Amino acid sequence: MAPLLVINPHNGVPAYRQIMDQIKLQIATGVLPAGTEMTSTRGLSAELTLNPMTISKAYSLLEHEGVLERRRGQTLVVRERPAGHAETSRLAHLRQHLTEAAAVANQLGIPHPQALKLFRETLDSSKPCPPP
Amino acid sequence: MSPTLTTTIAFTADHVTKDYPGHTALDDVTLEIPSGHVVGLIGRNGAGKTTLLQIAAGLVLPTAGTCHTLGRRSDLLDAPELTRLGLVMQEARFIEWMTVAQHLEFTASFYPRWDRDLQHRLVAELEVSPKQKIAQLSTGDRQKVAILLGVCHHPALLLLDEPMSSLDPIVRKRMLAVLLERLREDGCTVVISSHLLDDVEKIVDWIVALEAGRIVENSAFDDLQESFAEWTVTAPDGRPLPAFAAPFILAQQRSERLARLTVRTREPGAAENFAAAHAVEVQARRLNLDEMFPLLLTRNPAAR
Repeated sequence: MAPLLVINPHNGVPAYRQIMDQIKLQIATGVLPAGTEMTSTRGLSAELTLNPMTISKAYSLLEHEGVLERRRGQTLVVRERPAGHAETSRLAHLRQHLTEAAAVANQLGIPHPQALKLFRETLDSSKPCPPP
Repeated sequence: MSPTLTTTIAFTADHVTKDYPGHTALDDVTLEIPSGHVVGLIGRNGAGKTTLLQIAAGLVLPTAGTCHTLGRRSDLLDAPELTRLGLVMQEARFIEWMTVAQHLEFTASFYPRWDRDLQHRLVAELEVSPKQKIAQLSTGDRQKVAILLGVCHHPALLLLDEPMSSLDPIVRKRMLAVLLERLREDGCTVVISSHLLDDVEKIVDWIVALEAGRIVENSAFDDLQESFAEWTVTAPDGRPLPAFAAPFILAQQRSERLARLTVRTREPGAAENFAAAHAVEVQARRLNLDEMFPLLLTRNPAAR
């Protein structure tokens, strides 16, 4: 399966990092369920016009982190994770964004209750999350 | 291909100096390029990039020092190595009266591993007209032909000197795809010098920077990306910021309440630690190759 990755080679974030982050996000959001076969290194290199070394670095780090696993010798698949893991990684992803927002809030000197209120309003005004 | 030629180092330079009347093009360059890498050779005009590529190709010999290309000393390079080299030089020399097809035919005759299928496919992909005479080609079309002549024999080492400067963005993108395909299929080593850092950035995994004939940077591209950053620093309580001093700070611009620091550090959590130590807020942003370029050329030994 070809994950739809969008790599920006000019934003200063190493391409292998962008690949890792996007695959993790796709797993966290269920786009890539456990057992999904990943595109081969060569295939993904062709698709994204990226150096195959970049792809294999991203894949082997994801394997090392236990996000992907090698099956039947070669094929890389999304590893089965214990229940609750998806939620943890979804929250970790949100935390990344909020850390940046928190730094901006502090730089602008916005009091915390006001920042929290704004986040709540922003959440409410965007598309509602389906009830759990 | 003889197995004795296989090597894991595609090119080495050992204390190489190249003098021309009136100037030194390369000054005591020591460098090792392991096989399978895509090396971006960057530097300003006159930094020595072309000379280094010419030396690697055996076109010129160093004044002092020794080089090995595909395992063979550069003054002993012969057919077994030269037929596994792909060269795309900035101002390619052609036999001007030939048509593109004739020239391809002529060049192919030197290479036992010339791949006609690949040639036909690339002629179509790069939109080259085989019937045109070389003399009548535009600068861009000449570059395309130079590339065709450089890759159709499955080189083990591909040396490219500003190969894309006259190509339009669409063809440049196809060119990068062609290079990556050679990398995947042939596992070749690529050294590419270019001012088009946007393009270089897409495919290189290693950066060698030259300044005035000397190597000022020789690092994995990922490592560079993960060590350079711009920090925007503010004091949450609005107090004026002092001038900051740390070995990893390469440059800083300051106004009363905001400082922009250009840093180079691989220490994990460097920004957080800095923020805590100075009681400031730090927002970090990574730099792209274009932004790194001037920083790489000003050697800052304290930062390493």
